[in-house]
Parts: sequence; C-alpha cells; structure tokens
Amino acid sequence: MLLLSLLQTPAPTPQLAHVPERLPALLTIIYLVGFSLIILLLVVSLFRNRRRGVTTPAAVPNDLPDPVRKRLGSTSTNRGLRALRWLFVLLALGLVGFHVYWTQYARESNEKFQELSYKDLRNRRLSESTLRGWILDRSGRLDKAFAYYRRDANGKISRQYPMDKAMAHLFGSDRGDPGLERALFGVQSGALPEALEVVKGESIQFKGNSDVRLTIDRDLQQAAVDQLKGKHGAVVVLNPQTGEVLAMYSEPSYSLKEVEDEATWIRLEANQRDRPLVSRALGAYYIPGSTFKTVTMIAAFIAGYQDTEFTCSGSGYYAAPGANVIYDDAGPGEVHGRIGIHKAFEVSCNQYFAQMGVKLGQERLKRAAEALGIGAYDTPAEALRGRKEPEIWNASSEAAKRALAPREATIVTGKQITRYDLALIGYGQGYSGQMTPFQMALAASAIGNMEGKLMKPKIEFDRPPEMFKQVVSQQAAQRMREVMGLVTGGSSGTARGVFAPVKAAGITSGGKTGTAQKVVPVYDPKSGEPRTRRRVERDNRGNIIREYEETIMDEQNPRIDGWFLCIAPLDRPQLAMAVIVEGGGYGSRSAAPIAAALVLKAKELGYLKSSPTVAPIPQRRRRRTN
Amino acid sequence: MRRFHSVADAEPIDVNSMKNRASSHLLIILILFGLEIAGYVAVHRAGLLRGYETSVIGAVRDLIIFLPLIGTVLWLSRRKRFAGNWVLFTTAILLFSVGMLVQYRLYSDPEYNARNKAAAREEKMAALRTRYILENYDPQKKQLMGLPATPAQPVDIDSLPRRPANYSLWNALTSSYTWIPIFSLLVFGIAYSLCVRDGFLLWLQRNSFIIVLLTLVPLAVAVVTSSAGKALGNMTPWEPSKVPFLLGFAGILTARYKDLAETYWGIPRARDILPLLVMAALPFVPFFALKDFGQMLIFSGAYMTLYLVAVRRWPQLMLFVGSVLIVILVLVIGALPRDIQKGVPLLPTLSRPVQAALPARIQQRFHLWLDGFDPPSPEVSWWKKDYEDALSADPQLKQLAEQSPSAQRTVNVDIWFDKLAFQPAQAVFGISSGRNTGRGLGLGYPEVIPIADSDYVYAAIAEEMGLAGGLVIILGVIIFVIAGVRTSLDARDMFTKLCAAGLTAFVGFQALVNVGGILRALPMTGITLPFVSHGGFSLITSFAMLGMLMAFSHRNTRDKVLAERAKVAPPSPIKLEAVQ
Repeated sequence: MLLLSLLQTPAPTPQLAHVPERLPALLTIIYLVGFSLIILLLVVSLFRNRRRGVTTPAAVPNDLPDPVRKRLGSTSTNRGLRALRWLFVLLALGLVGFHVYWTQYARESNEKFQELSYKDLRNRRLSESTLRGWILDRSGRLDKAFAYYRRDANGKISRQYPMDKAMAHLFGSDRGDPGLERALFGVQSGALPEALEVVKGESIQFKGNSDVRLTIDRDLQQAAVDQLKGKHGAVVVLNPQTGEVLAMYSEPSYSLKEVEDEATWIRLEANQRDRPLVSRALGAYYIPGSTFKTVTMIAAFIAGYQDTEFTCSGSGYYAAPGANVIYDDAGPGEVHGRIGIHKAFEVSCNQYFAQMGVKLGQERLKRAAEALGIGAYDTPAEALRGRKEPEIWNASSEAAKRALAPREATIVTGKQITRYDLALIGYGQGYSGQMTPFQMALAASAIGNMEGKLMKPKIEFDRPPEMFKQVVSQQAAQRMREVMGLVTGGSSGTARGVFAPVKAAGITSGGKTGTAQKVVPVYDPKSGEPRTRRRVERDNRGNIIREYEETIMDEQNPRIDGWFLCIAPLDRPQLAMAVIVEGGGYGSRSAAPIAAALVLKAKELGYLKSSPTVAPIPQRRRRRTN
Repeated sequence: MRRFHSVADAEPIDVNSMKNRASSHLLIILILFGLEIAGYVAVHRAGLLRGYETSVIGAVRDLIIFLPLIGTVLWLSRRKRFAGNWVLFTTAILLFSVGMLVQYRLYSDPEYNARNKAAAREEKMAALRTRYILENYDPQKKQLMGLPATPAQPVDIDSLPRRPANYSLWNALTSSYTWIPIFSLLVFGIAYSLCVRDGFLLWLQRNSFIIVLLTLVPLAVAVVTSSAGKALGNMTPWEPSKVPFLLGFAGILTARYKDLAETYWGIPRARDILPLLVMAALPFVPFFALKDFGQMLIFSGAYMTLYLVAVRRWPQLMLFVGSVLIVILVLVIGALPRDIQKGVPLLPTLSRPVQAALPARIQQRFHLWLDGFDPPSPEVSWWKKDYEDALSADPQLKQLAEQSPSAQRTVNVDIWFDKLAFQPAQAVFGISSGRNTGRGLGLGYPEVIPIADSDYVYAAIAEEMGLAGGLVIILGVIIFVIAGVRTSLDARDMFTKLCAAGLTAFVGFQALVNVGGILRALPMTGITLPFVSHGGFSLITSFAMLGMLMAFSHRNTRDKVLAERAKVAPPSPIKLEAVQ
C-alpha cells in the first residue's frame, strides 16, 4: 500500500537525509498551513452571506421609516445573543494574547520563569540527549580537556570534570543560575530552533555544541587551588595586554558531580557562613583597603595631579570639622613628612591618599571609576543594589556574558558626600567599600597594559581582544608600573620581603598590599545561619509598629581581610593578579605570598618572557624630603 | 409551541452558498484527511529518530475513522437532505482530527504510558546520543571515548536499532479509542434524527422537569462510587448529563420567560422565579458532591447566557449582571491566597467565612493560578498534608528541612514543583518552548506533561505546533460558536433558540475555561477541550451536542424555506414583539 511504503522507505532526497528532523518539521508546517487555509475558508463561508440583503420585504410594511423598520426586525433576545457572541470572540482573542505572552515575553521578562526554568524537565532531556562540546584549556589539547565525555563498559555516556572543584564556579551546574556550561551550550529548551527554522535549514544540533577552548591555564589554575587550600578567598589572574583570564578560583568551592544530588545542593545553598556556591572572585563584595589606592592613583594620573605632594604628619589628617582623624597604619607614630605619590604608594600612606581623594573631588573620582568599570552612584542606596555587570565581558553570546557577569563594584560620588567621605574613599574605606576581587584585578590590568587601555576580560581563546576604555596615556601607565614596582622592589616597599624570592628568580614585578577590617555577623556553629535577635519598633504610645529579625554582628572581632594586587614582569606585564584572603590578616602576610607563588609558577610555565627590546622611559627624579 | 417570527433579521436563503453545500464540505474533509496522513507520517519519522517505532496499525485505525465520518456526511446530505449549516460539522471534525493526531503522538511515545518511565526515557536519550556521536565526532574523539574511529558522517535512520511498537490488530479492535469515536458518531446520528422532529422537541419541552429528575438518579450513583472528581480511571462518565439539565432549564425558561418580564424593581415575582431557581440549582448539588467544579462553572455560564438571552428589561438585566458579579467577586476574593489578601486592610477578616466554606481544592487552584511559581508556606492548610507526606516519604529531605529556615524553603520549592505545580508548570514550559510554529510533530517533549492527551491537550498542541497550532484551535472554536449563535439567532421558537444558545455556550465556555486554565488566564479546572480531547465521555457528549445543533440548524433552514414560500400570503397576522 502506498501508505506503508511511505512510512518505510528512507527519506527521498539526500538533503533531507542529512538532517532527518527536517521531514517531520516540514510535514508539520504543511499540516499547519493546510489547517489555516481550511479555517480561512470556513471563516469566509460564514461571512459571505452577511453583506447580501437583510430583510424579507413582506414581513415589515414598507411605509414605515427606515430606522423603525430596522428596529422592528431585531428583538432584544437576538441583541443579547449578538452581544454575547462578540464578548466571546473578544475573550477568545484575549487568550491568544496570553499564549503570545508565554511564547515571546515570558522567557526574557518574567524573572521567576527564568529562575525556575531549571525545573523544566525538557532541559534535562536536552542535556541528556545531546552532547555538549568539550571544554578545552588554553593548550587546546583533547586529552587535557576540562570537560569531556567518557563511555563506560555498558555504553553509558557521562560528562567528566577532571578538575571538578577548580572549575565549578566557572562552569556552573544544572541547578541555580547558569554558568559557562549552560551558557555556552545553550541547553535551554527555548533556544532550540522551531519547526520553521528546522525546515529552513538550521540544524537541530545547535551551533553551541562545538568544542570551546578557554583561556584558562590548567596548571596555573591548579596552583591557585593549592595556594588557597584551607582558606576562604579568591584569586583572579588576567593578561593585561589581551584581557585573557588565565586563572580564576574561589575557595571554598564545590563539586559539580556532588551537586547533581538534590540533597547536597540544598545543603550547600543553605550554608550561609561558607557560601560555597558563590564565586568570591565575581560575586562577593569586600572593603578594598589600601588596594584602592591603585584606583586613586589612576584618578590622579588622569587628572594630572601625579606630581602633587602632601604632608603626612604624626597628628594625622583632619579632613573636615567633626570628622575622625585619619592616621597611617602604624597609628599616630608613623610620620612620613612631605611626600610624593611614589613614596606614598610604596609605604602605603593613608594620609596622602586621603588628601588626594579630597583634592580629586567627586567628578574626577567618578570619571576614573567609570573608566575602570566601577559604578559611580549618587546615593548609598543606589550603590548597594548590587547589580550584575555583564557588559564588561568580551564573550561570544549574551548568555555567556550573563553567566560570568561580576557584581558591579560601586563607589558613591554624589554631590552630598562630605570631604571626610572623599578622604575615606581615597584610601579605600567608607564609600569605596564595595569592591570585588575581579574589579581590582581589572584595575591592575589597566596599569599593566602597555598603552594604558583596560581590555575587556575574555575567557574564550578564539575571540579577538577588545578594549573597554582608554584609561590613561602610555607614559602614565609606564610611570604607574614603576610606582607599583616600588612595593615589591623598593627599599621600604610593603611587600619587599615576601617578593624577594621572585626577585631572586629574575622577575621584575609590581604590586599593592591591602588590609581591611570588616564587621561580620555571628554564626551559629550548628546550623551555619547568622544569629539574629528580634527587634521591636514602637511608637510614642507603646504600640508595636514593626517587628523584625536583626542579625547580630560581631563588633568585638572584626574579620581582617588581606589583599594583594600584582603585575609581572614589570616592563611588559603578562600577568595582572588580584588575591584576597578572608580573615587572613595583613595583606603582605596572607595574600602576597600566594601571589608570589603564582608568579613563580607562571614563570615555570613560560608566561613571563618579556620582550627583549624595551627602552625604559627616563625616570623623573624622586624628590626626597625628610 | 410558541413561535415568534423574527423574520426580518433572518438571512435570505441561498441554497447554493458554500455553507449550505455539502459537496464543498466533503472536499474540505477529504483535504483534512490528506493533511492527517502527512501528520501521521511526521510522527512516525520523528519516532524513529528517538529510537522507537510508532504503530502503523494504530495510524491506519485512526485514519480509517474518516470513513464513517464521510459516511455520516453522505447520510446527512442524501438520506436526510440536510439543509442547515455545514460549518458546524466541518469545524467539529477539524478539531477532532487535531486531537486524534496529538493523541496518537502521545500514545506511541513509550514514555507516556510506560510503567517504568525512567527506563523508557533513558532508552530514548541513548538513541539520540548515539546518533549524535556517530554523526559529529571526529575519529580522535571517538577513539578517546572507546568507540571505533570512524569519520563523522550522516547516519541512515532506518538502519539504527529501534524498539518496535507492540500494538497488535487485536489491541486495535478492542481498544476504546476505536469504539468511542464510532459510538460518538452513532450518538450524533441519533441526536440529530430525534431533534429534527417537532414531536420530540415538544415532548422535551413539556416534560423537562421529569427528565431532570431522572438524570439525577444515575448521578447519585456516581456520587457514591466516585472519588476526587474522577471515576473509572481518569474519566468523568457523568459528563453527558449536562444535556438533559440544559434541556430542562431551557424548557422551563421557555414556559415562563414572558412572565419574568413582570418585575418589581428588577426582581421578577416569586412564583415565576422560584421554579427557575430550583431547576437551576438542581444540577449543582451532585456536581458539588462530585467535586467537579469545572462543570459547575460551565453550567453557571450556560444558565447565565440563557437568562440573559431571555430577559427583556434593562433593570432586570442590570440587577442580574450586578448580582452575578458580586457573587463572583466574593468567591474570588475568598479564594485568593493569603499573601495577596494581606495587601488590602480588613480583607483577611472579611473573607475568612468565605474561605472556610470554600473547599481546599479551590484555594489550591487559585494559588496555582496567581502564584504558580511560588510554593505557599508549609503552614497553609491545604498544602500542609501534601508537604508532610512528601517529607515522610523521603527521610533525607526531612532531615534537610529541619536544618535551617532557608533549607526548608528550598525543600518546599522542590516538593511544590514535584507535586502540585508539576502539571501546570511543565505545561507552561512546554508552551513557551513551542514558540511560533512549534517544535514539530514528534520533536517536542509533551510527554512530560501528565494527562496531556485529555485535560492538557492544548499544551501539547502549543508545544509541537506552536502559536499557529493554538490559533487553529481557538479560531476553530470561535467559528463553531459563531455558527452556533447563528443557529440560535435564526431559530423561530424560543425553546430551540434557548437550546441552541445553551449548547453553543457549553462548547464555547468549556473551550475558553480549559484553554484559559492552561495559559494561566484563569484558574485550572478539570475539564476537557470539546472535540479535541478524545478522553472518555467528552467526545460522546460533544458529538451529541453537535447532533442537536445541526438538527436545529436544519429546522431553521426548513422554516425559512417555508416562510419564503409563504411570503406572498403570510399564514397569520404577524405579531411583532414589543421592542425595548
């Protein structure tokens, strides 16, 4: 029978055979078109008679005026029916509107829908039925892949992650917000082509299934993991010339294999003290402390104030009436005298940068911040919103940008902030207390770039580099690198001792230490939740207005975070790094050794070959004052 | 029988117009048949892609149903000389065939009705994965995975191993899916033949009350034997009882609608309105006991339509509409979830009595409608039991939930999506993934939606045929309703007019409420889509209603022809109704 032969012969043309989904899709389109035509035919047949004559003449006497004749024809009964008919048609077309909402708008604009789309069983089917591309490291070798498939003896195919914990934050799991895995391989049921597109030739095996080569270096990433073991913190390593991300790791991390189990996921998500599912590099805010002086320095160079000198005295800096006095780290005893930016950076003088902050003022700080990708807002409320910043990335798709989007670092530069606030911003306290490690690495990267550009970070090897902003001039960048070099190489540099081994290995480097105190909540040791107390607000008469739970903060023991920013080698930096260790104490003691170890590892891997012919720009004489 | 002549707004008869011509509709049905074949081939090929073979016998069985359909057309036009509106029939067959195709697609999927769904799913996925690797991986990768290092090349689908369909001829002959459509066509024929006769309609009108009482008897039996709103599996065998109830109400309204016009302040006299109210309330009792709230909603809609059609004075109309709106408002507000009610001061206190009276299921449905993606707190009365059952079934989850409030919240979300919110959420995800032209027949995943072939068939259509498919269904229903209203408008006597309006209201409302529930425009109810859902008794009821409507349409044309012929000398002085 013709029917049976149609069902059993292979697809007729070679084109259709190659993408076998095309035949069902084509038939579906034919089916839909056919049915639509039939509906059209039926609609036409319903209405064709309407326009013909209306009245049967004998029923109504001809000598009555027209409106009366018409009214005599229609009774209230029929009027009611007609009204109901139109009501029904309107309601039914309204339903079409709802359908359109679900197909066109829900995916983009309905937040709950996006958050909970991991519950869509179709996504699980898709990820099980198609094979994602392999994720390769920088070398591009198949046998050193970060994510690949393995087939066991029974033929069962499973995804393997050899560096499971190291890459967990980057790759993301099937639950929760999408990471690189879901962003690159687009495993959302909405991203697949619909029938019309399949017919037109878009393959149902979507383009996202090809292998992806990352810029991450496998061995450097492993070194970062080893360095941060047992601590809470993050490491970000960028290449300032191209914006490539060489390593990015946040500890504590989690295992992608383990969170496939529902219960483990729930447990990790509820752990508010360690928050292993949050990437501290991209998504956690810290007070930058002295590392923010890098940004202040950039602002000074942009404004042309790099040669300004300020006095740093024993009695501290008094920014405004009624404000606290700003001392240097060692307290009232530390005296530097009248110094310029080189010395101030080398010894990390708070008073200098506080005065520089005041001199720069809101506008210049704002301009510098925006050049670096930091959000400058007018009020603290806006600055605390914590929006994500996908536009900073140089990535192949919007989904990838969203998956990797860091939280926007912010400062407040509204007109209403006081001189004291500006002073605090200058040396990394107060309104500048909302920085991410990723953002600080970007700041270092701007200085490390030979032309003073901030390159957009990128994680896909094959993408061409893109510039974010031209931050400073070439000469300014050169001078800032020298200033940073004093921290690790100068006689009173705060990281001199730690970086001695690096210097001994023949590597010139630069950096900035940072230490910040943060008051954190007290955590209940059993449940890992912050302890709270109930607070009651009453009005004048004693009636309760509001009851709420307030987190108990540990005022006695603030957490001391240690930072270190690093660029190496100094003459043509190939690395721009930011390291933070939560609760590690002084930056030079906790974060700098990690940076030093990573620089040595990078040399071992062959990254630090600086170009042989770089004529140093003549250095300005630094004025020494007593 | 009272007749009134609304001759002036009747259409002039053109027996040659398309809608009255049987041959063009026969042609349309044949085109439908051809398109159906294309659809079945698509489902078959798509099934091969996923490693299973769909049953050819099942497909042939479905397509053969077109033979009795064409036979019905021929019987109507030759034997019965049908002169009414064929659009009703063709639209119904259009909806019927879409439903048949979707049902075939779902039932051939080994996962949909498998006992071990996980194993069936695994097989499907493995088939897709194997094909992908063979076609796309280069030899080096294949080697790393332990496969023979062949180059990436297109694979011949028919040569891949696949699971055979085990649907034998005996299964086809004894399956309910064979006999229910045939039985429905028989019911159609009987309904048509009966309702064409004057005598039968007169008998119905005179004995409407007794008919209603007699229908209550089997319903009482059903109340006793059913549970949770369904009986005999997932079916609602009391669905055909709608029709006698409608006939009863229409009968009584026909007898009294003129008396209803005597109102005091918009309210008719007690002795006129009371029998009407009693007749209206009668069906609600068994359906409330059966917890079939969807059908109650349909009833209310149809009765309101009939009353609105029969009422003649503006104050009466306004009062009626006003009181209906107030009742709806009270019920809706009472059923709203607690956190929405908190927004308005005093509302929670006022609505407490309503909330206490409303069954838990209604509150549940309202929550799913308004806040479907958010679970309610585990304290809420109608959620508490399900939540605790789920926890006691899985001790690991229970332990997790006790750890901390935020863990409990996450556990709550998980249980919510696995239990109550599963069906509507998966349906909405499916609709969203269908986009404009759908994923293609057999290429989507509608099998993850439970009961996708009867209650949620619109979601399955929207997923595989997209917005276009959904539009076909909605436009089909609109056309049916317009044709039904035309039948009612053209009717010469009140009983036929009211019956036709009521039947059209049934079909229209049911479709609206079903599709609205799936699309989250309304709370979900347990009703099916008329003509499209092939489940159980829905099809039989739909075809019975179609038969009656077509009978009325035929009568209209016959009356018009008679009036045309007699237009030179009208049979009696025409009483023109008082117009308001």
